[in-house]
Amino acid sequence: MRALRRLFARVRNFATHRGDDERQREEMDEHLAMQTEENMRTGMPLEEARRQAAIKFGATGTIHEDYHAEEGLPLVENALHDIRYALRKLRKSPGFTAVTVLTLALGIGANAAIFSLVEGVLMRKLPVADPNSLVRLGDHNDCCVGYGVPDNADYSLFSTDAWEQLRRNTPEFEQLAAMESGADYQRVVVRRQGLEQAAQPRMGEFVSGNYFRTFGLRPAIGRLFTDADDTQGSSIVAVMSYEAWKNSYAGDPAVVGSVFVVNTQPITVVGIAPQGFFGDHLSSTPPDFYLPIQSAPVLANASYVHDPTANWLDIIGRIQPGVNRVELQEKLSGILRRALTPIHTFSSEQNRALLPKVHIVLTTGEAGIRGMQEQYALQLHLLMAISGLVLLIACANVANLLLVRGMNRKAEMSVRAALGASRSRLIRQLLTESVVLALLGGLAGLGVAYGGTRSLLAMAFPRANELPIHASPSPAVLAFACGLSLVTGILFGIAPAWIAATAEPAEALRTGQRAAAGGATLLQRGLVVVQTALSLVLLVAAGLFAQSINRLQHTDLRLESKNRYIVHIDPQAAGYLPSRVGDLYRSIEQQFHAIPGLLKVGISTYTPMEERNDGWSVQIQGQPDLHVSASDVRVNAEYFDSVGTHVLLGRGIGPQDTPASATVAVVNQSFVKKFFKPNQNPIGHHFGTGPKSAADFEIVGVVEDTVYTSVRWKDHAMYFLPILQRPASDKTPIDQDDDLYAGTIVLATARPTSNMESLTRRTLSAINPNLAIVRFETFDQQIADQFTDDRMIARLTLLFGGLALLLATIGLYGVTAYTVSRRTGEIGIRMALGAERIRVIGMIIQGALIQVLLGLAIGVPSALLCVRFAEAILYEVNGVDATILVTAILLLIVATCIAALIPARRAASIDPVTALRVE
Amino acid sequence: MKYGIIPVGNQKVEEMKQKSDVQQGTLGLMVLKTLQLLGPLHGYGMARRIEQISGDLLAVNQGTLYPVLLKLEQEGAIASEWGASESNRRARFYRLTRAGHKQLQAETRGWEQTAAIIARFFEVKAEDLS
Repeated sequence: MRALRRLFARVRNFATHRGDDERQREEMDEHLAMQTEENMRTGMPLEEARRQAAIKFGATGTIHEDYHAEEGLPLVENALHDIRYALRKLRKSPGFTAVTVLTLALGIGANAAIFSLVEGVLMRKLPVADPNSLVRLGDHNDCCVGYGVPDNADYSLFSTDAWEQLRRNTPEFEQLAAMESGADYQRVVVRRQGLEQAAQPRMGEFVSGNYFRTFGLRPAIGRLFTDADDTQGSSIVAVMSYEAWKNSYAGDPAVVGSVFVVNTQPITVVGIAPQGFFGDHLSSTPPDFYLPIQSAPVLANASYVHDPTANWLDIIGRIQPGVNRVELQEKLSGILRRALTPIHTFSSEQNRALLPKVHIVLTTGEAGIRGMQEQYALQLHLLMAISGLVLLIACANVANLLLVRGMNRKAEMSVRAALGASRSRLIRQLLTESVVLALLGGLAGLGVAYGGTRSLLAMAFPRANELPIHASPSPAVLAFACGLSLVTGILFGIAPAWIAATAEPAEALRTGQRAAAGGATLLQRGLVVVQTALSLVLLVAAGLFAQSINRLQHTDLRLESKNRYIVHIDPQAAGYLPSRVGDLYRSIEQQFHAIPGLLKVGISTYTPMEERNDGWSVQIQGQPDLHVSASDVRVNAEYFDSVGTHVLLGRGIGPQDTPASATVAVVNQSFVKKFFKPNQNPIGHHFGTGPKSAADFEIVGVVEDTVYTSVRWKDHAMYFLPILQRPASDKTPIDQDDDLYAGTIVLATARPTSNMESLTRRTLSAINPNLAIVRFETFDQQIADQFTDDRMIARLTLLFGGLALLLATIGLYGVTAYTVSRRTGEIGIRMALGAERIRVIGMIIQGALIQVLLGLAIGVPSALLCVRFAEAILYEVNGVDATILVTAILLLIVATCIAALIPARRAASIDPVTALRVE
Repeated sequence: MKYGIIPVGNQKVEEMKQKSDVQQGTLGLMVLKTLQLLGPLHGYGMARRIEQISGDLLAVNQGTLYPVLLKLEQEGAIASEWGASESNRRARFYRLTRAGHKQLQAETRGWEQTAAIIARFFEVKAEDLS
């Protein structure tokens, strides 16, 4: 209590600067006067009385100090003094300060930016109640809708039926929720009823009735789902995401309870999900509407919902406390085996043998379904490593600069030591200076990080709406940057501080400049060597990634993208039944052809170089089942011409291929290579998706290998079917066959048409006002999108490589300039004795080159070694190209020469007389 | 060229030793007790009284009293105000507060206890413990 009151008084005095110095002085003066009077009364003369009084009182200076220390907070006051002094000192050498702060800002900023991404993507937990008790059933990411048995019979994707059985038989779970795995592709077309407004494409996700309860969420307003919402035949309700509610409906509370038209069906929004909830997995396109699973057949014509052989659900559960996860995993696998036993998939001999192997692996569900995490983990780790190297180089630079500064201030420190400053006081002062410097750098680095993260996010997710990853630094990032700068400051401040402070004052003052004429220390040179080595590694990496993206972008895609436009549509969302799409496609062909300058109108399920891929197993009639699958695209007559795929053999799909004519297929070269012997003519052969349907399609033509999905997918076997034809073996009613739905229109024009998008919109809404454009892009844009990640990595490594080169050059310049300034006297003597200017320049550059060559000797093998870690991301790059290596080495040597030439010229211009007078 | 020899040498400058807490505390206790006995006093008067009471045994600079007074005042044990001294000089008078009274009592008890324990150790003989 007393201590507290005292501290409070001290803090108050400190804060208000209200020291009672005046009162103290007066009090002490009076004290001395009284004592003097007293002394005089004993007969002393005035002078002696005064002297004795002063002796008795003690040293006023010390007492004053003590009094002052008692009054305020001396430790804080000293620190503040040091900081003020440090700032003054730094202001006096603006060049040094600017270079150091900038170096640190770039190093720390780059790292904090990458760390922001790592934190936002890899370390992110779902924003739900107690994420640690969530578990996911399954350990890998299968997407969308799968039939058949997964690899190793390891199930991660489940049918609606399997989920219901798992849920019913596991009291170990508080809740077991199911959600659509293909939510990132689940677009719905939405219009608010009663408003004259065009239907908008939005993201949707079908989830179970206990979805929100499993995550322990409360609605922002309204209510969330109950099990009753997810029953067949109940009126359809939806929950809207908070972000969609705020951004698209201005947070209007009347949204709750109002009717929306989703895919032409009326639904009621019953509530708004909590703020920040982005669904069960990280995505650049989080769901805007959560819809019950049982509404999927009505809204999305999803026949797979009630098909026990169709696996399409991810499952996440909240586990009861104290449940043994290993036993639970066994139990779940058993339930799944029982659920799968009667289904059609396991009726064949071959699959029946797999049944005992069917199992589920439980994984942590704290981050939900970790699709994006797996997609970006490799790249992010690589970027972390690269930015870490840049930071190392930056730190070496700062250390070097501080060392030089420390040594230059030896004389100053000696004087201060001679005047009575203790060693610890000097070290504290110097450390304060480097910590202040580092913190300034860290602060500037946060700015760099914010800007960096923003542009990184824009580069990585160019198409994101309402991205759940934000650029503003989180507490973890702030702590990371501050910690990093503090550690840098202290670590690289200690050595120079120690060197400067251990100077023996007398010696330093006596010998003046000449004692340290040896130039830069081993430590400094070592730092430059390390910097050079690291820069080389980064430069080589930059070269490799540039080469990789170059190869990717210059791959011959075997298509024609000039003056082509890709329009994504969704006839199902516009209310078309599969039996009606034929008319729609005919009107699309007719209406678009009416636009002047329009050459070809292609209609297909999907197009080259987009993410979608439909695949089926292939069985050639009369051949053994190879268990190989191929991708299929359904197309109209003008499709091949519209994307620029050439027919090599036979014919393409033509107008004669109608629903009534014989079912045909066109295959690509890889398909022929995979399923037929060399020189075997595939034309006339039949194939299907299994033994029973092997007669389904007759091959009538072969086309070249246009690249679909990704350039990295080599030997991609594909076949193309007329979009309206249904094979004889397909016995499902036509209105359940969503294979008939086209996803894209490809428009080929004679010349660039700038208003193509509005023309398209007008044409489509003339056909049907509900037919919204889901996405409109030029073909070139769509292709460029596929290289987003690779381009980002290439740009970043180039940026970091350049940064490293710049920093290393500055470091080398610093050390060389320092050496020259220390050797001024020596160079003067040399020149007085007749050394030529060119020799002096040569000598200085030689010194710098030796360090760089040493750095290269370490850097080249390291670079060769490091490439192995990046090879998985590189495209068709194996090992280091000699050109890249030589270019990187040359770059470094040129940079070295430039960095050394400036101080070398200064050295050569030394006037011997002035140089000698310096001493 | 001529070097001047600067007489700084390699002297190690020792930092001033801090006064130990016991000493500071003792002086504070003396101040409190003196104020309790004699009522409000100014700094000089207090210094003289402490000298007088302790005889010549306490060789403390008078000035060291002032930081202690400040500390006690900040703790709330004493309060001060300006007044006129016996010789009609302006002087700052210190008096004990209620909190100071309590503090003095507590510390007196503490000291007496300590003193009693130490005294017993001094009086004890080997045969007493057999």
